[in-house]
Amino acid sequence: MVEHAFEEHLAPNQYYDRQFDIEAAKILPGEYYVTRRDMLIVTVLGSCVSACIRDRVSGIGGMNHFMLPESGTENGDPLSSSARYGTYAMEMLINQLIKLGAKRPNLEAKVFGGGNVMRHFTVHNIGERNADFALEYLKTEKIRVVAQDLVGIYPRKVYFFPKTGKVLIKRLRNIHNNTIFEREKEYSSRLQVTPIAGDVELF
Amino acid sequence: MPKSILTVDDSASIRQMVSFTLKGAGYEVVEAVDGEDGLQKAKTKAFNLILSDQNMPRLDGLGLIKSLRAMPQYKMVPILMLTTESSDAMKAQGRAAGATGWLVKPFDPQKLLEVVKKVIG
Repeated sequence: MVEHAFEEHLAPNQYYDRQFDIEAAKILPGEYYVTRRDMLIVTVLGSCVSACIRDRVSGIGGMNHFMLPESGTENGDPLSSSARYGTYAMEMLINQLIKLGAKRPNLEAKVFGGGNVMRHFTVHNIGERNADFALEYLKTEKIRVVAQDLVGIYPRKVYFFPKTGKVLIKRLRNIHNNTIFEREKEYSSRLQVTPIAGDVELF
Repeated sequence: MPKSILTVDDSASIRQMVSFTLKGAGYEVVEAVDGEDGLQKAKTKAFNLILSDQNMPRLDGLGLIKSLRAMPQYKMVPILMLTTESSDAMKAQGRAAGATGWLVKPFDPQKLLEVVKKVIG
């Protein structure tokens, strides 16, 4: 089994959140988390986008955190590396939900992020591209979008409670350090140098 | 006559991308939305190749392979898996069920066409 830089990972960071008095998982760019338990999933978004998807009957839910690889020449190409990576990031989340017992027809989504917060990206509308992709993907998959808070100029902190579907958004007007920008930048450069292609094996 | 391929995936986005890739190379493509739908469609026509996802409602990819391999007309037909599952354990299960090959997502159109050409020409 070969590790690739594009691979999405189950978020490894779990902690007890004292503010909400609940078990929590924190996800970073390129990660996702899915649970059937009553807990909190947290992330901080700059230009990245997060889909919070849950089965509205069983309460099984999860969240991803991704951006499309930056590319100036592939707009409109249905097979571009951007489209293929975005589809992959969404499918990793949905597959994990289905494995835990969620039913596709019961899925509903809330979508956040895609802020125009990064100055060092050459594609200026990177946040908007990410937001547009997520909405378009969910439309194609016929997964209903029940809430969204997208684009704009502020980074966001997202608190998702999959059991109830509740989401709290904190718009971060004052950023005290560059951590989120640096993480997104590092994630973006990781995606850029990796061919978006999984392994092939003939038996 | 163009060779015909049955592509089975519960994701409409993946079905669109795979169909676009294969039709562009001259293959005839029929889509199915899960393993059960795939199995029914496989009975209506003699496909030259089946390309299937693993995680799907109703009947998953491994279940589909086992059902197809039990049918005389699909004993020898190549079946490729196209899935987010990348573990050696899953690949081994696929191989044991009778899969011809295993492609891990995100799929690369070029690689997909190379493999398809290799197994059915």
